[in-house]
Amino acid sequence: MSLWPVISLTLQLAAITTIILMAFAIPFAWWLARTRARIRPLLEAVTSLPLVLPPTVLGFYLLILMSPDSPLGALWLSATGETLTFSFTGLVIASLFYSLPFAVQPLQTAFMAVPQTTIDTARTLGATSRDAFFSITMPLARRGFLTAAVLTFAHTIGEFGVILMVGGNIPGRTRVISIEIFTAVETLDYATAHVLSAGLLVFSFLVLTVVYALNRNGGTRIG
Amino acid sequence: MADTLAFRFHLERSASFTLDMGGEVPLRGVTAVSGPSGSGKTTLLRALAGLDARTGDTAEVRFRGQSWDGPGGYTPPEARRIGFVFQEPYLFTHMSVEQNLRYGAKRRDVTAIDGIVEALDLAPLLPRGVDGLSGGEARRVALGRALAANPQVLFLDEPLSGLDADRKAEVLPYLARAVGEAQVPALYVTHATDEIATLADRTLLIDKGRISGWRAAPFHLIAGVVGHEGEDAICEILTGSGEDAAAGAGARLRVPVRARMGERVRLGVPRDALLISVAHPGPNSALAVLPARIAEQSGPAGPVLDVFGQRQPVATVPETGEGGRVWLSVLRVLPRPERDDSDS
Repeated sequence: MSLWPVISLTLQLAAITTIILMAFAIPFAWWLARTRARIRPLLEAVTSLPLVLPPTVLGFYLLILMSPDSPLGALWLSATGETLTFSFTGLVIASLFYSLPFAVQPLQTAFMAVPQTTIDTARTLGATSRDAFFSITMPLARRGFLTAAVLTFAHTIGEFGVILMVGGNIPGRTRVISIEIFTAVETLDYATAHVLSAGLLVFSFLVLTVVYALNRNGGTRIG
Repeated sequence: MADTLAFRFHLERSASFTLDMGGEVPLRGVTAVSGPSGSGKTTLLRALAGLDARTGDTAEVRFRGQSWDGPGGYTPPEARRIGFVFQEPYLFTHMSVEQNLRYGAKRRDVTAIDGIVEALDLAPLLPRGVDGLSGGEARRVALGRALAANPQVLFLDEPLSGLDADRKAEVLPYLARAVGEAQVPALYVTHATDEIATLADRTLLIDKGRISGWRAAPFHLIAGVVGHEGEDAICEILTGSGEDAAAGAGARLRVPVRARMGERVRLGVPRDALLISVAHPGPNSALAVLPARIAEQSGPAGPVLDVFGQRQPVATVPETGEGGRVWLSVLRVLPRPERDDSDS
């Protein structure tokens, strides 16, 4: 049996999640890093919830949110003719919540490490705030961008509990690597489980090595 | 159109600190901004530059009649053309020295930065990254970066803070030269006791978020360049009251300043570099020994000396009475090329 559909689906899910999440997390993390608003700790706590909640809890609420009985699920059903639960789109939405802290936190940390006065200097030298963001903040925070993207991608690939709750196990639609491993073990197909598990292990190890290598160089270049 | 920077602020920054002041700074020469730490010097400069505005602030700023903030309209920081040098260099670490210098220049359509590179001796540093620069070099690059963007006013917020005495002495002449040659007015935050205060044409005194007063320029003499010796200029003290020019014949000083023949140089004399004696001290190691007269023994702003017709304030004078002859030993000077008419 070919494992390719499972791997391909997993990579697609991780790629789409990473792209959407980065597009949201960059402005959000920038705002968190600079704002004096009182609501900030609240939003930071919400952002970090997926780190501490059991995936089943997150999955349960997402399942409720996306079910055809809920306003969101009903709207989706009437617009597309499909349910949001047990669909690829549902998986993407779940992954966005699940991987949120992995995109926001490295970016926020990197943005906070860029001194406000460095940005102010750019402003007084004739850069608009937009210009200063692209010419100063982004290059100085580049390691945070890489870390956030790599961690989001890797974490989405390794997701299991939430997916099982909202996506189930439908081949070609919601069956990703981690689910496939679970299924293989249940059916005593240890050969498949070995191949996929070893693959994920090596992949995760490489990703973390890259992230730590980036951060090792990152600490010394501030100011 | 008033050639001033006029402002009025009411900025509540914390329970214990509110910047509440209004004033008008002449846009000629160097205005020192002085006061104890925490008095609001940096807050004032940042507010004038339009940085960190907050809701609840009341701000009104007019630069040469143009509204920067307030009911007359708002000008964003990038359009105010302020050359702001902060307490730390804050160089852009992902760029080379040259890219740092060109960052502002590029955005203001300035292509030639050679003059600034030369004035600050930056040529050997251009291709380098900024990480390996010494403290003094980094300050020079930060100053050059601000000047290269063709500012219409300089804001210098203790640009030498954190440097040891040797590094300060290294950067100070560059700073004096740059401020003098740039021909742009400058606001300069400094401690009153700093030698650098000698550069100032006037001092704005600040305390607890309010203006506590103004002080006139400290002791300085205007001289003309009459020759050169190596890198230095030979300066002759001008006779301010049109007396016989021969009176200044002996009043020549060799000064490390880059100025052309006939140009004027403002020689600031730090307090501790000025000795007043009743009799000629004889041959000594001073830069110059100048004859002077006590113009005012105890004026409203303290004693005043008359040096070749230039009336200058001093801290104390010997008790010889008004009109009494004294000798002035000048131990060192802080020269500033005088390319504008800031003293007229």
